[in-house]
Amino acid sequence: MKRGLVILFFGLIAAAAAYSCIYLTCTASARNMQRSDKPELAWLKAEFNLSEAEFKRVSELNAAYLPQCAEMCKQIEAQNLRLKGLLAATNQVTPEIETTIAESSRLRGECQHQMLEHFYAVSRTMPPEQGRRYLSWVQDKTFLSDYGMKQ
Amino acid sequence: MKTNKPDNHEDALREVLKEWRTDAALSPRFQESVWQSIERAQASAAPSMWDAVARWIGTMLPRPALAVSYIALLLVIGGTAGWTQAHQTNARVKSELGERYVHELNPYQATRQ
Repeated sequence: MKRGLVILFFGLIAAAAAYSCIYLTCTASARNMQRSDKPELAWLKAEFNLSEAEFKRVSELNAAYLPQCAEMCKQIEAQNLRLKGLLAATNQVTPEIETTIAESSRLRGECQHQMLEHFYAVSRTMPPEQGRRYLSWVQDKTFLSDYGMKQ
Repeated sequence: MKTNKPDNHEDALREVLKEWRTDAALSPRFQESVWQSIERAQASAAPSMWDAVARWIGTMLPRPALAVSYIALLLVIGGTAGWTQAHQTNARVKSELGERYVHELNPYQATRQ
């Protein structure tokens, strides 16, 4: 009985060890990405097989784009607040509301323009095939499926 | 030295039983109740599932061929579970990081938080 129990226990330990070894080995790259300074860019590098030079260029483009994006965020936030206040104050479309809506549309257009410029610049740093794949993926994520329409 | 011989006792008992007569009637359904008692006794004496498992662990598992097969099977099960779980974790991490990348670059997603 004792020998049987030892074998039973050893089998369970072996299963746990096999699970841990394979799980930790297979998820090592994902854990490395999550631990990096910029996990999103580390993911981009892995997903689109970027070389070190390509990754450096993409990181520079990203660093240059983010302040523009932050500025856009501020303007959109301010515009949303303004529109919210105007809508709450009346029950009809006033000239001020029309102006604010037009400004919102202009902001949206400018935002799309800047994003597209950035996406094209990033795609040009990649090998052609990966660049096409990147553009298709990122446009689908931003312009084609969910551009500010989701609740 | 023992003086009581078992054979003599049994012979004597047999003689007494041969001569023993009784007029007392058996209780109704006597035979059925005897059989029920026997069945109850057999049922309570039947080995439980745990007993069967314990016996299998004690007698069958130590056999070399079975022990090797058992450990190999658990290794495969553990490895497969680890691989499947890792596959799911990688897919989740990739999806999350991709969403974070887009979220960082899209002002409309950033202001929607």
